[in-house]
Amino acid sequence: MTKYWRSIEEFKDPVLFQNTEIKLEVNAKRELMQQQSGSSRRDFLKTFGFSVAAAAVVASCSKPVNKAIPFLIKPEEITPGQANYYASSYFEGNEYCSILVKVRDGRPIKVEGNNLSPVSQQGTSARVQASILNLYDDARFKTPLKRGEPTNWQEVDGYITNKLGQLKRENKKVVLLTSTIISPSTKSVINRFLTENPNAEWLQYDAVSASGILKANQLSFGKAFVPDYRFEKAKVIVSFGADFLGTWLSNVEYTKGYSEGRKLLGAGDQMSRHYQFESGMTITGSNADVRIPVKPSEEGVLVASLYNEILKSKGLATFQVPASSVDLSGLVADLLENEGKSLVVSGSNDVNIQLIVNGINNLLGNFGNTVLTAKTLNTHQGIDAEFETLISEIKNKTVAGLLCWGVNPVYNHPAGQEIKQAVEGLELSVSFAERIDETAAACHWVCPAPNYLEAWDDAEPKTGSYSLAQPAISKLFDSRQVQESLLKWGGLEAPDFYTTVRNYWIESLFSQQTEFTDGKLFWNHSLQRGTFESAILKEAELNYTQSGLSDAIIQIKPSSDGWEIVLYESVALSNGNAGNNPWLHELPDPVAKVSWDNFASVPVKWAGENGIQNESVITVNGIELPVVVQPGQAAGTISVALGYGREIAGKVGEGVGKNMFPLSTIENGTRKFWLSGAQVQKTSKTYQLAISQTHHSMEGRPIVRETSFNEWKLNPAAGNELKEVHEKNKVTLYPEMEFKGHHWGMAVDLSSCTGCSNCSVSCQAENNIPVIGREQVRNRRIMHWIRIDRYYSNHAENPEVFHQPVMCQHCDNAPCENVCPVSATPHSDEGLNQIAYNRCVGTKYCINNCPYKVRRFNWFKYVNNDEFDFASNSELGRLVLNPDVTIRSRGVQRIQEKKTEAKVAGRKIEDGEVQPACVQSCPASALVFGDMNNPESKISKYLKNERNYHLLEELHTLPSVGYLVKVRNKKA
Amino acid sequence: MRENFRCKTGLKTFLFFVFVFSVFTFPKKLIAASEESVISSGHSNDDIKRGKRFFMGLLPFDRKYESCVSCHNIKQADTLNWNPSAFEIAIKYAEKDFASFQTAVLQPSGVKMSDSHQNFNIAGEDLKTVKAYLDNMAREGSHPIKPSYFNLILFLFLGLILTWALLDLIFFSKVKLKIIPLVIFLGAFGWQVKMIATDAMRLGRQENYAPDQPVKFSHKIHVAENGIDCKYCHTTVEHGKSAGIPATNLCMNCHVIIREGTNSGKFEIAKIVDAVEKGKPIEWIRIHNLPEHVFFSHAVHVGSGKLDCTQCHGQVQEMDIMKQHSDLSMGWCINCHRETQVDFVENPYYEHFIKLHEDLKAGVIDSITAENIGANDCSRCHY
Repeated sequence: MTKYWRSIEEFKDPVLFQNTEIKLEVNAKRELMQQQSGSSRRDFLKTFGFSVAAAAVVASCSKPVNKAIPFLIKPEEITPGQANYYASSYFEGNEYCSILVKVRDGRPIKVEGNNLSPVSQQGTSARVQASILNLYDDARFKTPLKRGEPTNWQEVDGYITNKLGQLKRENKKVVLLTSTIISPSTKSVINRFLTENPNAEWLQYDAVSASGILKANQLSFGKAFVPDYRFEKAKVIVSFGADFLGTWLSNVEYTKGYSEGRKLLGAGDQMSRHYQFESGMTITGSNADVRIPVKPSEEGVLVASLYNEILKSKGLATFQVPASSVDLSGLVADLLENEGKSLVVSGSNDVNIQLIVNGINNLLGNFGNTVLTAKTLNTHQGIDAEFETLISEIKNKTVAGLLCWGVNPVYNHPAGQEIKQAVEGLELSVSFAERIDETAAACHWVCPAPNYLEAWDDAEPKTGSYSLAQPAISKLFDSRQVQESLLKWGGLEAPDFYTTVRNYWIESLFSQQTEFTDGKLFWNHSLQRGTFESAILKEAELNYTQSGLSDAIIQIKPSSDGWEIVLYESVALSNGNAGNNPWLHELPDPVAKVSWDNFASVPVKWAGENGIQNESVITVNGIELPVVVQPGQAAGTISVALGYGREIAGKVGEGVGKNMFPLSTIENGTRKFWLSGAQVQKTSKTYQLAISQTHHSMEGRPIVRETSFNEWKLNPAAGNELKEVHEKNKVTLYPEMEFKGHHWGMAVDLSSCTGCSNCSVSCQAENNIPVIGREQVRNRRIMHWIRIDRYYSNHAENPEVFHQPVMCQHCDNAPCENVCPVSATPHSDEGLNQIAYNRCVGTKYCINNCPYKVRRFNWFKYVNNDEFDFASNSELGRLVLNPDVTIRSRGVQRIQEKKTEAKVAGRKIEDGEVQPACVQSCPASALVFGDMNNPESKISKYLKNERNYHLLEELHTLPSVGYLVKVRNKKA
Repeated sequence: MRENFRCKTGLKTFLFFVFVFSVFTFPKKLIAASEESVISSGHSNDDIKRGKRFFMGLLPFDRKYESCVSCHNIKQADTLNWNPSAFEIAIKYAEKDFASFQTAVLQPSGVKMSDSHQNFNIAGEDLKTVKAYLDNMAREGSHPIKPSYFNLILFLFLGLILTWALLDLIFFSKVKLKIIPLVIFLGAFGWQVKMIATDAMRLGRQENYAPDQPVKFSHKIHVAENGIDCKYCHTTVEHGKSAGIPATNLCMNCHVIIREGTNSGKFEIAKIVDAVEKGKPIEWIRIHNLPEHVFFSHAVHVGSGKLDCTQCHGQVQEMDIMKQHSDLSMGWCINCHRETQVDFVENPYYEHFIKLHEDLKAGVIDSITAENIGANDCSRCHY
């Protein structure tokens, strides 16, 4: 039987591991007891006596008087206590998502996926979910600043308008530096600004750009663009280091497509095969059917060899390329079998590699099928080389003024410190940052922009796919939309960006549809839906040319020796632009399960040979980093996440982890996020990481079940043989529970779940789950109600990985329920395991008796507590709390909401109407929720599927959550 | 003789404790207030004092048995007084000049006020001092209601007796008959336990709570006399969690025309108009406070349960001052769920309950109560 393990220690000796784990846990608890509880039995008695007296005193005093303040004039659409949803768009850090914003009594409290968007298709990512917290960030600018001192807009406008005029007269260059702009209305504003100021120039800068793809396509198609990748159409997916399920380009859209191409529910369903070449273990690699660990320097050789092999198979002339260490014959056969139905992508920023990838896709006939060129992805437009030119221009004073919007080069560019000095020496430097950051600190003027939830905007993430963003709350601080600032400084009297957006839509987009004959109607309709698909396709598929391809192949160098460091965007923090978000910091890395730090992932073999363990400290080019021994890490490579080590970010993010951007280099005009010949040294230090991978152990019992696609085709119940055994042994003394009305259940398709962790953050936002910090995570107290267990199997050097979301299983024979001495956790008539928080006295018996280890205990008061200074310590930060859910101190409402709605309306609840937060926005559609008493519901069908099993069903806990066996499309 | 002496020392010690105790519990505010001299802006202290005397009816006025204070309360009263209190008048006229005050008093425009202020003949000088008195009152604020320390004092007093009895019982033995301190001890202790128990059980419950509201709004007049349906004002009761305290603009639907009430005259209604004009919402005192950790939805109870408002809120149509009718305790909720029958057949939502429908048809059960369909599940209200 396959062995599943969660860490290297467990792999080596499971029994020893189990024993040490227990010891560690006991020790940790003992230490905690000694450290934290200075209180003894006598203290308890004292406190008890005092509280009895206090109770009497309190009881005899008057009760607090609460006020009830109604609206003066009630807005029509607002019913106090009922949430409204507004369609909007998220676009930050090059990530786009069409969203619905849940607004309760005037304040946004939750982000959900918009099902009407053809781009994000109701999916979100963990970063999108967590973005709601950025709105209530204490680190936001409250007023405009002049050299760090608060000022007002009048002074700002007076000075800057004057200064811009002066620079214009003197014909000195002013640069508007932005991250990628996908808003057509904003572009029109920028163009107006540029026309007004002929000395001004507009430049887009992305920290992690797609320059390689853009430049390669410039050569191959004569146009710099990112094509539209259709993962759902591909039968064979080959990715060279592209983490398309985690952070690459349009990951939510790709995750939707990827899981759509791999859904196995009935006979005849097909499944794509996914090959992944990569160095560190990403979530994309962990989902691959075939994963090949390679050094980053070998990627060029591999891509070129693959191209050559395909040429050879087709009987075409081949090139001279260095030999690769990987046998590609199986892959080539697969690709040739699926011509026009395969997809080859590369995450490299090297133009040559991207050119060869284009060559491969062309040979396989993928253009026009799985790679569409008529529709382009617009979220990455920055060209690295242009920014390099700008740096030299700032340094030699060719540029006199710099307006920074949505960029933070001082932090995320290798020459950050030089940029900082150069910016400080400019005649005019303005930052439009929303919250404090390194670049804003270097600028003379800060003109804060509102949060995206407070602003009007529109977006064209893909050609012809438009969406709108609308304010869900009025501005919390004295901020102003950048577009309005630009218009104002361009001489317009009372600029109003709302009008600009509206006019743009009515003037330019209204004509691209036929449904509405009135512009206003079209606008209202679009605003309500949030998205609009143009009926006119502007361009046809572009023609591929081989220009530059042969040069590219010649330039491919053989792989190098020595240590290679790979810098990657982590799933939680991406490029670090939301560096002050405690939800994201606390979210464990989907693979390494580490929160609150970045770390060096080192190969298992090397670690074993050199006596390196988790939490050892090594230096990488002089930077000290804690180690995580990562199964699957390619030999000779170390991966470290970007996005950490912010110096100026706010109280949560400052000084968390190390900044790795300075290690990136510029090569051939593009940023390179790996380096060879790195200096790696051991140190004798250790660093305590918050690793939660071995917490909440289910003690080595078979939790994950798997099969292969070929076996599944022969027998849909393959891999699920145990279920039959358990069914046979099923006997019970107790009468079976009867659920008269609803019986809620959930199913998790392990084949679809990618481990992206969107559900964890979504749940955190929905249920007011507190952030507990590094220390408490180390103490095995992580609070996430949905944790995603990650198991490895097979070889330690290149294991197979399984992601398994585990949440409360709502067992019908719940072991937690009958041990509660105060009946604080009974079972409901609808099969739910309920907790009456105010009844709980904190015995924690339930936690000890839960075989799934999903019970969570609030060890402290996490709100308004200086020990936990994250987001809940200020009035502002607490605005994000969901008023429909208790803020548990010591010690599901969506179902109720929909039931009430149905009851009042006098109708039955439809299937799929009740959607918990995790299910609603799952980008892989891996979670299904519904009424098991309805035989027609999706959940009933999932649970009847042959692949369905329950966790530890031999315990006869009768969980309401089912899991569908993981299927991999392995090469036979 | 010796015993006598002993008794006296005991008494002395006791009195000493009482003294120390009363020094600690004596409201400190009162001590502070007596030392503070009255300062006024724009008015002389004499004017204010004279105005106060006039207001209280201590100076000659052409009404025999009445003065200002007869109608306009200075202190908070337990009974409903339709007339505005002195403090409310003070606030309203604090910013206005004397002429408008004089016109309002001597030539009132409303029907009710002209009736009661009929043939007023107050000299300008007197009225000026009254205005000075009221202005001063507006500036100083109304007299705060002194919290009652009765329970606390009693509790501590009992504790003291208890301690004394216990000490005497064990150490001093000054009282010969052991039964006396024992009885005192048990009595005092028992009483204390009873106090704690009753208070603890009542903790957070506010049955019959009827605070003074910022506007003397009478449900009796609006519902009983004018026949307005509850849902005309509490619009969200069928769809929202809360019934909704009506927005001020809803009041103006009628009061845009009706500017004078039979009982309250123009004063109270003017507050609503004022709120709308000034854009400042009225801050009502919340009466129905559910304990924490409870979520309650009116929509389920009224929207689908079709409960009558009076079932929980009592005979609101008879209340001039709104008060809390039920104790809103969990036992009260649960009992009602056990007894209340659900309209199981008419509402298509309940088609989800197939088994219960079958039982109903077969006659196994004759009715469905809220409890049968899970109304008493914890997570219905606690989530």
